Formats: sequence, C-alpha cells, structure tokens
Amino acid sequence: MLKAMDSAVSVKNLSFRYKHGREKVLKDLSLEVPSGSMLVIMGRSGAGKSTFCACLNGLIPQLIKGDLEGEIRTLGLNPRDRKVADFARFMGIVFQDFESQLFSTTVELEVAFGLENLGVPRTEMKARIEEALRKAGLSKLKGRAPSTLSGGQKQRLAIASALALNPTLFCLDEPTTDLDPQGKDEVFSITSELWKNEGKTILMVEHETEEALQAEYIALFQGGALKEFGRAQEVLNNIDLLKEAGVRPPEIPHLFHLLGDYPLPFTKEDAIRRLSSFELDKDLSSGLEENDREKERGYGNEVIGIESVHYDYPTGVKALNNVSLSVRQGEFLAILGQNGSGKTTLVKHFNNLISPRHGKVLLKGEPIQRKSIEEICQTVGLVFQNPDHQIFCERVEEDVAFSLRLLGLSPHEISPRVDSALKAVDLESLRHEDPFSLTKGQRQRVAVAAILALRPEVLILDEPTTGLDYLELQRMMELIQQLNEQGHTIIMITHSMWVAAEYARRVVLMKEGRIIADGKTREVLGTSGKVKEAGIKPPLMVALSNRMGFTALSIEEMARCLKRKSI
Amino acid sequence: MNVFLYQDKDTFFHRLDPRTKIFILLFSFFLTIFFKHPLFLTGVALFMLIHGYLSQCIANILRVKFPILLIALFSIITWGLSVKGTTPIWGRFSEESLRYGLAVALKLDSMIIAGIVFLSTTRNEEISSGVIRLGIPYKVSFSLSLALRMIPTLIETATTVIEAQRSRGLDLRSKNIFTRMKRSIPLLAPIFLTTIRTTNQLAMALEARGFGLSKERTSYQEIRFKGRDYGVFVILLIVALLIGFILLRG
Repeated sequence: MLKAMDSAVSVKNLSFRYKHGREKVLKDLSLEVPSGSMLVIMGRSGAGKSTFCACLNGLIPQLIKGDLEGEIRTLGLNPRDRKVADFARFMGIVFQDFESQLFSTTVELEVAFGLENLGVPRTEMKARIEEALRKAGLSKLKGRAPSTLSGGQKQRLAIASALALNPTLFCLDEPTTDLDPQGKDEVFSITSELWKNEGKTILMVEHETEEALQAEYIALFQGGALKEFGRAQEVLNNIDLLKEAGVRPPEIPHLFHLLGDYPLPFTKEDAIRRLSSFELDKDLSSGLEENDREKERGYGNEVIGIESVHYDYPTGVKALNNVSLSVRQGEFLAILGQNGSGKTTLVKHFNNLISPRHGKVLLKGEPIQRKSIEEICQTVGLVFQNPDHQIFCERVEEDVAFSLRLLGLSPHEISPRVDSALKAVDLESLRHEDPFSLTKGQRQRVAVAAILALRPEVLILDEPTTGLDYLELQRMMELIQQLNEQGHTIIMITHSMWVAAEYARRVVLMKEGRIIADGKTREVLGTSGKVKEAGIKPPLMVALSNRMGFTALSIEEMARCLKRKSI
Repeated sequence: MNVFLYQDKDTFFHRLDPRTKIFILLFSFFLTIFFKHPLFLTGVALFMLIHGYLSQCIANILRVKFPILLIALFSIITWGLSVKGTTPIWGRFSEESLRYGLAVALKLDSMIIAGIVFLSTTRNEEISSGVIRLGIPYKVSFSLSLALRMIPTLIETATTVIEAQRSRGLDLRSKNIFTRMKRSIPLLAPIFLTTIRTTNQLAMALEARGFGLSKERTSYQEIRFKGRDYGVFVILLIVALLIGFILLRG
C-alpha cells in the first residue's frame, strides 16, 4: 500500500448524494492515485466517475450541492477547507463540453484569464502563456477566436488554460467524448506528454478503451464504488470483468480471448506475431461476402436521391461540392468523415432542413421542395445528435405523441403508435417519467421513439452513440439494426469506426464536402485506400484481417474465420 | 457559422483605447437624442455610416439590414398614424406626423448602427477592462462581457432546436401570430434548459480557473491613452462646439 505522501489523490469512504437525488451516486468509495501516474477511470454512465472528479477540487459541495461524507485529500489538501478558485493553482480540470468552458475572444486571452485571476504580473504572464500554448501545440493560433477552432483544438486550449497555472494534477472528465478521431488523438498525445515529460499526475475519465491502454493504472467504477483498481494491462485483459462493468474490452485482447490463445497480447505488433500460428478458413471467409450479397438483394426502390448538390455556408465556405447519392429502401448506410467534412449538412438536405444552392434532392422520385412538412416528416425522420435539443414535454409518452398531435391524428390513432414506438425502444416502463430524470442513453431512445412514432421509412441518426457507455451503445445499435430488419432505411453519421464496420452495410466516406468513396462496407473499409485519404483510421480488425488475406468487420467475424495451424 | 460581431481588423478605430470607444458610443447616442429634425438626423446617421465604413464593419451593418428597415417602417407608420398634425397629407398622415416618425426611425437606426460599430471594433475583454478603468467593479463588468459571450451560443442553440423540432413536423410558418406563439413552446423549453446547463458548466469552468480568487487581479491587456485617443477627444469637442454654434445662430 502506498503512503499518504505518495498519493496525489487519496479518498476514503466517500459518499455523495445530489440535492434532490434519490440515491447516493458515490457509495463508500476509497481510492488512492499515486503521484506522477496516469490513471483512467472507466465504467458505465452513472457509475459516479464525474461526481468523483468534482469532489477533488471542491466543486462538490461548493457549487454542486448535496450530502458529502468521507475523507478527501487532493495533493495533501482538504478541498472542504478551500475555495474552488484557490485549487486552480494545484489542480486543473477539463470538462467534456468544450464549448462552454471557453469564453474569451482570442486564444491568448483565454489562457491569460486564469493568470489574471491569480494576480500574476503582466511581464511574467506573457512568458507563461507562450509556454502553455507551445506545450499544447497552439502557438500559431494565438490570435484566433476560440469559436473558430476545431473541437480538438478547443479541448487543447482548455488544457493549455489550466496548464498555464502550473498545477501538478490534471483531471480530465471525458475530454474526448465529443471529438472526432483526430481530435481524440490530439488530446491523448498532449495528456501523455504532460504525464511523461512534465511529470504531472493525470486523472482521466474515458470511454475509449483503446486509448486507455496508454495509461498506467485503470480504476473501474461500478454503482458508485470502486470495482477494480490495477495496472492498465492487468485490468484490461480481464475481458469478463470489463463486460460486467459495462466497458468495451480492447479489441486485440478480446480477439485472442475469443481465439482462446493466452496470455493475451496488447499491441498490434504482438498480435501480428501471434497471428502467424493461425490460418484462414477459406470456406468461412468466402461465406462473409456471400452473406453481404444476399442482403443486398432485398433492397427496394430509391427513397432518397440527390444529384450534383452544392451548398455554401453563409460565410462562403463550401460545405458540399457536387455531391450525388442514391439510397434505396432497406439500406443501412453509414456516413464517415472528419468533423467539417459535410456529413451533417448532407443529411439535412434529406428532410429539407436546408435547400441546395445547385442540384436536386428527390424524395421517392419527386423534388423534395414540392412536399409539405407533414409529408416529409412521415417519410424521413432525423434524430439529432443531442436529444436535449428536441425533448420538451414533462412525460416521456407526451413527447413521443407530440408529432402525432401536430399531424392532427385522433387519440385512438395516437395511442397505438406511441405504444409501439415505446416498445421498440424498450421504454414502456418509463412512459410516465419526466424525460429529464433519465440517463443520456434513455433520453437518446426517447428521441428515437418520438421520430419512430411518425413511422418514417427512412431514419437518419446523427452520431447516435456519442456519449453513451458500452451497454447503452450496444442497446442503441441493436435497436437500429432491428428497425432496419423491419424495413426501415437507416442512414447513420458516426465517428466510431467499429460501429460502422460492425453494423452498416454500405459506407459513404466524405472529405471536404465531397464523397470520396461509396460502396459496400467490406469493400470501402477493407480494400480501398480511401479511408486514410478521408483522414480517418481504418478499424483495427480490418487492418489485422487484411494481413490474413480477408476482411473481417468485427472481432467475432475475425475469430470465427481463423483456425490454429495444424503442425 | 460566425455569429460574433467583433471584426478582427486593424483600423484606426480598432486601435483606440476602449474608454475612447465607449466615449464615442455615448457621444453618438447623445447626438441622436439631441437632434429633433430629420434633416440633422440624416446627417447623424451618415456620420455613423462613415464611422462604420472607416472601421471596416459595413458588412456587419448589412447583416441587420432587415431589422433596421423594419424598425424604420414600423416607426414611420405608427408615429405617422398616431401623432396629430396640422398639415394633412393622406388619411391620418400629416406632414408633422410623418416628420416625427421619420425622426424616430433615424434616431433608433442610428443608435443601432452606433452599437454595431462599437461591438465590431471592441473585443469583449476590452469593453470589460474599459469599464473597469471607468470605475465599474470587475465582477459587474465581467458579467457584462459574459452576457455578450452568451448571445452567439444562444443563437446557435436556438437554430439547432428549431431544426430538430422542424424534423418532427413542427411548422413555424403560420400566418396567425397566436398559432405561431403556441407553436414556439416546444422551442423555448429545450433552449432554456440547454442554456441553463451551459451556464452551469461555464460557472464551474470559471471557478476552476481561479475566478474571484485574488483581490489584486492583474490584466494582460494594456490600456493606455495614446495620441490618437486625445485626437479623437479634440475632434469630438470641435464637433460639439460646432453644433452649439449652429444652434445659437439658428
């Protein structure tokens, strides 16, 4: 056991209940974070990860009220004795929502804000700002307005702003959840630099298991208590434990777990070496493509067709540049690309939220402009990324019925539709609840139900899995898959490569307002070099299976098609 | 989409001390209140437009051209109808009532343009450090600049919420104003709740960066009157004297 002095954070029997909360969010939690280490906290939504972070610098109970019990020492200090503002010198905190933690008009002034608060003299300030910006790789963007930065840059700026105050401990609460893969990489490379080169203690809440492999320690939270604490590799190769705690196991150890080949490797290099004792079962792998073709035969007529569409933002930036696409009834399509590549702008054409500057949008063969809002919303349903932008009723069932009332349907037409929509998303038991008391995953399903009640043929989902934990994510994707099997056409925007690989049957890659690849998932992700051109990482399983002479889209497919070489 | 008004340019007016810019704004307001005749007020409005042109922010003024025109029309019609005049022109409109309506229109629009030019040339932080130097407490001035900071966020949230509800079949284009008001309820709740959440987040981020910690807060921006600031004051003084002179003569 570590001595108290060696712990950056030491928490004993910590319990917390939010004011007006029914249950304790933290229950008797004890945890020691060794100084100079990098610890990643993982676990389901509602496991108490963010609550724990907010206790460390006094945000709980000073800004967020509730009953707090137990002992907390952050860098040897008791957060109960000090103001939150006073903690800024010792502990930097970075939140998930990067929009609302930046408020200045230039990058430089954003970093200056904390230094001004501490009363640092102007002459010293300049040097500290420059140093922080250099370490965050933002020196060149000094004069830019934070609102014009990319998501990854914004989050780096939030880190730089904390870094300028020279704290020894950094607490990052889901810093990469809302970022695209490139932004995630940017944030991880800076945090690991702060840990390795600057000797900072890093505490990070994270859903992405692959990135958590870089950490030194992992703490698994479950139901407000610590379920497991240990060296990252030890925790992450316990596949069953991870599944139980609602965390997605890392792909490589998971694959070898399925292959029954122990001890489990972690790195890609190890995996490649170990795969040399396996060979491909050709009968099974050719079956995969046969299966793909089989599904394609079931597609119906074109439901959405766009022809040479151009769209410019009011600022003059080209958002879509000569885009054509045809989607047939029954397809399951994923649109992939970096942030700003035009994905959301494209799908907003599909239900006439925006009209193209040039080109045609056809809904079931007819120009979409000729159709009324009522007609469009019963053919194409668009579920927005953030469910909180559309939920407004006090009860779940009322929110689901809202669109139907707008259409002027009678109560006896409305209630069966609401019932079946709630059943589809498995929320029947919560129909009388206030939507705002539900978890993010449940609210996301309310939003889907509200659209489903309209019985649209096409369902468009903009990043439906962002911010969900692994179990919620699986549930959401199973729901979407079921809807597809029942005949709904699915168009999904996502940043999660493995989600696209595992569920979608067709993939469209976008880059700078153009479609650069469009085809079967296995072909686009597996054989074309377009994935890299689009600036996104190919799924790990695709890269590994390509070395074995085929394309597997999921860990299960990969494990199924491999067999041990007979000696 | 950039919804901020501030234009990052390097004009004479951008380089002025924020206190001078605040003074120019107040002086502009004074001019619009002081004059009554549409002819003089047209002069004042032109003065504002020249100020806008020299500060390279005509594009920002054009962004609000519809509200500006609407306000003008609205005041000409309402005042034209309601003020009693002695020289009738058409129906209830008289020469006096139209002149009054036109004057009010020019006053309001000039004030809007002056405000836009001010916000286009002055950063939030400058406004806030400017008013601090004029003796306003830091927390008050910071709240002011935060409020300005929240406007674009609010507009963005509102845009997304409108799109989300339109996707659910909510048609806001109704001729009946009461129907439209009723239909905007599904918009207000999400906008309101999202904004509260953002504000809470912001409050936590501020505290976590030491907000309100030290009594001797320092400032990264240097604020100092320079030659050009004194120049502006001299010019404004001459303008004021000229106006006084004209008024005494006529």
